[in-house]
Amino acid sequence: MNNSFLRVSIWVYLAIFFLYLLGPLVIMSITAFNSSGFPRMTPWECLTFQWFGELFQDQRILNGIKNSLIIGAGTVVLSVAMGLAGALMLTQIWPKLRATYYTVIIAPILIPGVVLGISTLVFWDRINRMLGLGADSFLSNGIFLTVIGQSTFIASYCMLVLVARLQRYDVALTEAALDLGATHAQAFRKILLPFMRPAIASAAVLAFLASFENYNTTTFTFGEYPTLTIELAQKVRYGITPSISALAFIIVALTVFFALLNEAKLKRQELVAAARKNATVEELAGKIKLPSFFAGNMAAVLVVVFAVATITVVGTATAYNPGQCIANVKEQKRLEAEQRIQELRKQREEQRKKREAEEAEQGDAQQSAPKPSNNSGFGNVFAPNTLDSDDEDDATGAETPSNNGGSGGVFDPNSLQDNQ
Amino acid sequence: MPGFLKEFFNRNGTGMGLAILGLVLFWTIGLIILPQLSMLDFSFRPNLPPPEIGGPKDVYTLENYKYLVYGPEGGSQSYNTVDLRVFFRTLLAAVCVTIFNLILCYPIAYYLGQSKGSHIRIFAIMLIIPYWINEILRAFALRIIFGETGVLNTLFTGLGIWDTPFDFIRNDIALYAGLGYAYILLMIFPMYNVIESLDKNQIEAARDLGAPWWRIHWRVVIPYAKPGISSGCTMVFMLSAGALAAPQILGGPSSLWFTQLIYQQFNDNNDWPQGAAYAIVLLVTCILFVLAVMRLFKVNMGDIGK
Repeated sequence: MNNSFLRVSIWVYLAIFFLYLLGPLVIMSITAFNSSGFPRMTPWECLTFQWFGELFQDQRILNGIKNSLIIGAGTVVLSVAMGLAGALMLTQIWPKLRATYYTVIIAPILIPGVVLGISTLVFWDRINRMLGLGADSFLSNGIFLTVIGQSTFIASYCMLVLVARLQRYDVALTEAALDLGATHAQAFRKILLPFMRPAIASAAVLAFLASFENYNTTTFTFGEYPTLTIELAQKVRYGITPSISALAFIIVALTVFFALLNEAKLKRQELVAAARKNATVEELAGKIKLPSFFAGNMAAVLVVVFAVATITVVGTATAYNPGQCIANVKEQKRLEAEQRIQELRKQREEQRKKREAEEAEQGDAQQSAPKPSNNSGFGNVFAPNTLDSDDEDDATGAETPSNNGGSGGVFDPNSLQDNQ
Repeated sequence: MPGFLKEFFNRNGTGMGLAILGLVLFWTIGLIILPQLSMLDFSFRPNLPPPEIGGPKDVYTLENYKYLVYGPEGGSQSYNTVDLRVFFRTLLAAVCVTIFNLILCYPIAYYLGQSKGSHIRIFAIMLIIPYWINEILRAFALRIIFGETGVLNTLFTGLGIWDTPFDFIRNDIALYAGLGYAYILLMIFPMYNVIESLDKNQIEAARDLGAPWWRIHWRVVIPYAKPGISSGCTMVFMLSAGALAAPQILGGPSSLWFTQLIYQQFNDNNDWPQGAAYAIVLLVTCILFVLAVMRLFKVNMGDIGK
């Protein structure tokens, strides 16, 4: 196959793939700035920042964020501790038990979150009952249950991250410390823990993110402490507003910012290492010239651009007032609606005229005709459409029966439809 | 005290050893094993008001499982067609989502794993960013796109491809797109890890020997990447069968996901044993299904999660 054709098709495929991956997030972020009451991109109405203001006044969202932070902190502590203990155990467990043990601690990743939530709820409810505690005891507290339920599987993630680093640890270091008279606790705190710090940090970040965005488990355990995700789900299920888009935009922006920041830091470390490698002995002895934060570091440049853009946007947001534009759009909508009403009226008027003309032609013939069966028996007067409609046009419509004498408007096609 | 325990305490010291052992036991037994067993036990009990629990009526029964198959006692139908249909539809749809994700992600994983350069890092970041966004918000984003006045409908009616808005949500297209979207990363990363370690010389050797590109994949890359493919597929299948947020937000009004039935039993009907029984059925079926498929493709359990 032609090589350049293959290359082009790979790039097209990548483009489609990332469009599918990132497109929804971009569109959702954009809808946060449209003044339309329903989150949408088209038709674009006005640039507005009102949804952000609305978001920060929403007590339930703020309360959800607070609960999420509390639960996230608890989950981080518990699952990193359990993950570290699990990883240490994995490296020194009795070989015959190893496979079984590994299956048990890896299983929570694969068990559906719904099942974990239910089992946590059922189990602790039973413990609670066995201890004879009431429904308001600590064990049936939403925060406790959620932390426990989430930690069950988040600890497995932490364990995987930590065990990867632990495999590179030289046990001789701990042994040396013990030989030199350190206690086990000291050796752990001064030797192993510093070695594990990077992995612990990434495990903690991972645990917090997983806890923050968890829905399946939390939805069974949250009790009276709904997290942000739960509140969002309630809002999304029962009517969506652009203030959710505004929250999404904030989360997307924060994520992108921290990803870039992390990337810039990694890149800088790489550059520093490269500079060290190339440096001569004198340079190392003297002052080594470190590459500046920006040199050859795309990510760092992007971070700064991003920060400046954020500040600019926030600055304009405080000064910008979309009131005029919104008023214009409202006016336009009102005009459109009025036009539509006008058209409708015209149509009805024409219909009525036509009908009257027809009835005038064959009015006598109809009066002697038998009355068609009509549910209401009162002609058109109680037809739903006369009562429901809001414009005056129907007032005349309601009077028509008296003009028509006996037939009572039953021949009006509208009334037949409505009475069915 | 058994020998290995003594050795364990010698190595870690009594205090540290106790702390490690305590945490591990709390996690494995207190959080993983006992709750599952407790749920299993609970699923065999009748739904009783709290004062009657432990009383004479609290006996083991198969009632909850019978309900899933036969429906309520004295019901008009001989089988519980509604719930059973939801159950099988969920499994089938999860399989479809998994296959769709595999086909979508394999070229990407292969490309990322086999090419070098700084742009790979950028792609990796772009892959991870959506995964850091809340599951609910991702589903919400798709709802904006697939809604009746959403982006796609506006676009297509604007272009004149179809006249009336197409209802993506009622036709479950939005749901499948959302489920696939949610678990792309879990499919790509295991595959990427394996393919990255594949020696490029093997591919070049196959090419030199005259193999067309599809045969290189079929005979060299895919057999090598099998552990990665199977762990990716397992994760995507289990997670999409157990998904709750995406079906709640993107699902049509008439179509249910099995997890939604469980949710209803717990929250609306307040019938916990029934919900527990449904959860057990879901869990056991999914595990058995994964094991069967793994045996079919001759993959070892130990390869998963590497």
